[in-house]
Amino acid sequence: MADEGGIYKKMATYDKRWVYVVLFITTLGPLISPIGMPIGISAMTKNYYAELDTLQEGDIVFDTWNMEFSGYMELKPGVLATHKMFIEKGVKLCIAFGHYEGVALPGEIFKQLQTWLDRYDYTEGEDYIIIGYVFPNEAAVAALAQDFHANVRVDWKGESIEGTFLDEIQNAGDFDMISDYTTGLATTWMINHMVLQYGVPMVENSIGVSVPNHLANLDAGLLQALLASTRGGAELEFLISSPGPGLKAMDAFTLGHYSLIIFIIIGNIGHYGWARRSGARDRTGIK
Amino acid sequence: MNEFLQFAAVVVGIFISFAMYTTLYGKPNPLRSWAEFSYLGAATGVSIVISITYIWNTAILGIQAGDWILIFSIIFGLMMILRMHPEYSYISRLPLAFTVGTGLALSLRTQIFTSFIIQINATIVKLWTNVPLEFLYRVTIAVSVITILTFFLYTMELSGPLLWTSRVGEYLMYIGFGAIFAQTFMGRLGLFVGYMESLTTPTWKTPYTLASALICLIAAIIFDRTGLGEKLSAG
Repeated sequence: MADEGGIYKKMATYDKRWVYVVLFITTLGPLISPIGMPIGISAMTKNYYAELDTLQEGDIVFDTWNMEFSGYMELKPGVLATHKMFIEKGVKLCIAFGHYEGVALPGEIFKQLQTWLDRYDYTEGEDYIIIGYVFPNEAAVAALAQDFHANVRVDWKGESIEGTFLDEIQNAGDFDMISDYTTGLATTWMINHMVLQYGVPMVENSIGVSVPNHLANLDAGLLQALLASTRGGAELEFLISSPGPGLKAMDAFTLGHYSLIIFIIIGNIGHYGWARRSGARDRTGIK
Repeated sequence: MNEFLQFAAVVVGIFISFAMYTTLYGKPNPLRSWAEFSYLGAATGVSIVISITYIWNTAILGIQAGDWILIFSIIFGLMMILRMHPEYSYISRLPLAFTVGTGLALSLRTQIFTSFIIQINATIVKLWTNVPLEFLYRVTIAVSVITILTFFLYTMELSGPLLWTSRVGEYLMYIGFGAIFAQTFMGRLGLFVGYMESLTTPTWKTPYTLASALICLIAAIIFDRTGLGEKLSAG
């Protein structure tokens, strides 16, 4: 039987594994040998930067790492750039995890911030305290917001937090800001029980999938600023003049997007040229 | 020794990542099963340790500090474990009901504001502003909300102007879905690129990354062609 679709059929039914192959190549290639494509800075990231810039030395920020290790891979540029700003400004950080994988993060994050920690003499216990995994459910978040010391007595190493800068915190309202990095874990609970109840300003660094949800919260004033995914992190790196993993990843990011656009165009041309006209969709199962 | 262990952990980590990626080949193979079960084992172990630490830090230390009410949380927790016992599993319903009740109460108390009233308030804004772009945004939001709401009118037959507004609403939703898909792709690509970036930085990792990718791809093809993949993979 003659091939009814020809080139259109090939375009409409190409093996999806080619998408993965092309994505691997377009991602790994620029990471190994960077091209240096230009990027622009969005108004959203400028707003995020301006919001962090309002912090003063000695302000206490509730720094919530609401992410798994996989989510960190996407948020890494934003996390590192934000913490560079915190360290430079001399802000005190109370770091909490929203996922049990969070225990792997401090080693990874502070290793990359080592130069900044040394430069500004930023030390654990004095400038930042890691209180560990404290957000197993909404009740825990609500309880912590209401009475901080009744719910957190020791840091993640089991050492008492008495006598530290956290003595100033009685409830969530005593924090000057909440800086959240999220894959969508305890963030809604924090908005419900800390922002809504105590009016603490909250900034968000969100994975791309959750950005549309958080845009609504930004629009409603529940969030003060939003940093969107790796792209936002790269923009923040540019704004603070400290290139890092975000800017390095932007070539791969851009080429990856181009690849997807090309695959969508190929698939659509194939669809209109073959599947739609020939009525072969029933036979192939392509609906 | 310590340095060698760190090096070995990184190299095994890189290989195990690509073993997991062989799932994209679309056929079962033992490398993927090995990677999956390694993750399951590690994740279960970590979650148990972290959960016990949380109970110790929050409940036991709280009781030691005189917060006696926390004894009930320990008792409720123990009752929950009885769920695994066929004869006494009914006892676990009590703490479960308590958890569901408090969860619902906590959520409803605030959710009605954050997800409903405040969101509606944010939508009802003055249309006119001196900034043209801001004006355009506000008009877009107003038109989208009204037309999309008419699309969801199920209790009456849509005809005349309502039919047209619901059509407009439908197409606006398609635009919204497209934007969400693009955002999702951006996010997932960001995750992938971020991970690949960590596998190629510092540069000494790059040969191990490329070698692991190649070995895993060849292995996946061999397992598929020889039919060994299905036989050796865990269900």
